[in-house]
Amino acid sequence: MATVSYKQATCTYKGAERPSVNALDLEIADGEFLVLVGPSGCGKSTSLRMLAGLEEVTGGSIHIGDREVTNLEPKDRDIAMVFQNYALYPHMTVAENMGFALKIAGIDKKQIRAKVEEAAKILDLTEYLDRKPKALSGGQRQRVAMGRAIVREPQVFLMDEPLSNLDAKLRVQTRTQIAGLQRRLGITTVYVTHDQVEAMTMGDRVAVLKDGLLQQVDTPRNMYDRPANVFVAGFIGSPAMNLIEVDLAEDGIRFGDAVVPVSREAREAAVAEGAKKVTLGVRPEHLKINSAEGLSKDSKGLAVSVDVVEELGSDAFVYGSVTIDGETKPLVVRVPGREVPEKGGVLHVVPTVGETHLFSTKSGERLHD
Amino acid sequence: MSDKAPVPVVVPEKTKPTPARESRGLGSGTLLGWLFLLPAIVMLAVLVAYPIVWSLLRSLFGADGWSDFVGIDNYKELFTDDDTFTALKNNLIWVLVVPAAVTSLGLIFAVLTERVRFATAFKLIVFMPMAVSMLAAGITFRLVYDREPDQGVANAVVTSVHDMFSEGAPYPGARPRNDTVLTPQAGGFITKAGTEPGGTALLPLVSLPAEKIPGDARPAKPGVPPAGGLGGVVWVDFTKGNAGKPGAVDPGEKGLPGVEVEAVRGGKTVASATTGKDGSFTMPASVARGGPVQLRLTEANFAKSFGGYDWLGPNLITAAIIGAYIWMWAGFAMVLIAAGLAAIPRDALEAARVDGATEWQVFRRVTIPLLAPVLVVVMVTLVINVLKIFDLVFIISLGSSQKEANVLALQMYIASFGGGNNQGLGSAIGILLFLLVLPAMLFNIRRFRRENR
Repeated sequence: MATVSYKQATCTYKGAERPSVNALDLEIADGEFLVLVGPSGCGKSTSLRMLAGLEEVTGGSIHIGDREVTNLEPKDRDIAMVFQNYALYPHMTVAENMGFALKIAGIDKKQIRAKVEEAAKILDLTEYLDRKPKALSGGQRQRVAMGRAIVREPQVFLMDEPLSNLDAKLRVQTRTQIAGLQRRLGITTVYVTHDQVEAMTMGDRVAVLKDGLLQQVDTPRNMYDRPANVFVAGFIGSPAMNLIEVDLAEDGIRFGDAVVPVSREAREAAVAEGAKKVTLGVRPEHLKINSAEGLSKDSKGLAVSVDVVEELGSDAFVYGSVTIDGETKPLVVRVPGREVPEKGGVLHVVPTVGETHLFSTKSGERLHD
Repeated sequence: MSDKAPVPVVVPEKTKPTPARESRGLGSGTLLGWLFLLPAIVMLAVLVAYPIVWSLLRSLFGADGWSDFVGIDNYKELFTDDDTFTALKNNLIWVLVVPAAVTSLGLIFAVLTERVRFATAFKLIVFMPMAVSMLAAGITFRLVYDREPDQGVANAVVTSVHDMFSEGAPYPGARPRNDTVLTPQAGGFITKAGTEPGGTALLPLVSLPAEKIPGDARPAKPGVPPAGGLGGVVWVDFTKGNAGKPGAVDPGEKGLPGVEVEAVRGGKTVASATTGKDGSFTMPASVARGGPVQLRLTEANFAKSFGGYDWLGPNLITAAIIGAYIWMWAGFAMVLIAAGLAAIPRDALEAARVDGATEWQVFRRVTIPLLAPVLVVVMVTLVINVLKIFDLVFIISLGSSQKEANVLALQMYIASFGGGNNQGLGSAIGILLFLLVLPAMLFNIRRFRRENR
């Protein structure tokens, strides 16, 4: 078990103009479950492969524990990796697959067998030990890949989208299994995914990447409550946060015909930037519908015309459009499951005070927290 | 059953003529099937089955044709005849060596081209020999294996490498002017009479081309013997026009520098000296103290230079032809194996690396097992091909060592048409060859079946 640290780690592929991972600085604590998340092509897999030694580090350094591993071969790094396609050895049985690393390390057969059987028990694979991978289902293969990593008892687990080839239901199930297993084994884990739900549910901390640049590292809660910039705000959360450009008003921001109060510091920061407009971020669940009777006297909020309603049972998401400054923008509102508006109708919404996020329109950075 | 059940319910009611049509349909279906098969069956029968049966029958008759029934005598002869036995032995060598060698070489090339720049160009060059006809390749390799290093590339390479590591003798082919003074001994020459202390030995040599005499050689001059020692000269006893006296140092005759001279007493070498630029040498008094000594010009001065190997000679011929065959087929193995390599999942290799395997272990324990099906295909194809080998052996060994290079297919040809004129024996060899190829074919068929399943 060990800490992992990226120090200004950079990877530029041959012939590429822009580095795939640009000066990544990341400290991962001993036993921590860190999730790297981002859209495809953001450099998250490359970052992981740099740590594995499968991708050349062209700048900066990477440490595992006290050891610098920047230029070490993968075999010398004491890591175990779970691949997206599982990368099982097709010519070996499940037991041989799981015991391969130990066999290479020259451990005696009995001990290997014992360790493999122990891991198989944890993963519910005991009855498949003598099968070849092609005779297994996707979920079983995924567990074999996990087993191969567990048997090693490495310093660090690396997982590269290990759930993306499973069906939705199995994915949710395995998600909790992996997270539970990691807590139990206490081995430092770096987990790559493009699915922000996985990131939020599994990680102790989440690191969001975009275009090879680290955007924010934080706990899932903080990531949700205090996104550092417009990109993180839009990426974390499902459905995505509504991001709309609004005018600054005297004592808040203008939201339709209503004025929503915002923190003084945020307003001052915006004014200091000399901006007249800011980007307002508000999550679908933080938009309140002003019912027809309960309209406040002077303002009704922003008018949303309902385009589509997605009913999820417990609640529903209204996909509507609003007109701001003559431009039509999409807006998503969460409504209780039993009070679903008609398609084509018009709602008036205002954000819950204190649940708004303000970002600089110019830089995209968060204005004060 | 279940999907047939509704048919009788629906059909008889609605369309009465259907049964007739159906039975006709069924009949014509089988007939049609056979019709479609017919061309293939005819071709197979004419080109495969008929020749096999004919050969089998013919092998039971002797050289004089169908009137000359000999039973299994042809087969008896086959296993007692020396030529056929050589052919069988050579075929065995071919089968044991060639598929393994070609496959390993192809594997090495395939792995290397994965990591090398200009891989396509390299592959093209290695694959090119496949496009050359066996006949042309055979003729080319006859030249390659030519005995003279000036013509044969193989010997040119071998001799130049050899000369790189061992310097040749300075005066190959030189011999004494006459045998009154020197007689041949163990590749060198030794004086007949002993030389007394204080004496001077004149050792004349001839038969040296002018270019073999070093440019810095000075006119010959006998070495002045030190007190109690002895001296002498080794020189070319020949001038233009042959004016000089044999056995005497005449003006214009040159000394031979760098000749090893040994003093021998009672068969034992007691001292040695090397001649100077004027061909002179001296030996100290300590050598002559025990009485007269014989002087020996050692073999190292005269040994014939290394001329390469006799590739097309009886000893190396099979190895030489196998070399040519490997050159032709390595490209074939490489292309197939390279395709197999490309199909191996990258992440399985990466997983092995992360699992702690060295590159060699990855290759040995992951790459090779995953490549095994391709390797087997290449091997089996080569075994079948090698058993049938004829043209290359025929061309390369033509006229020189055909007897030693013989293989079954060639022996079959020789026995039937090329001199033997015994088609019965030829057919028997053909049947033997067929029986040898059969296991490889059966193995292949079983593998195809397993793959289809």
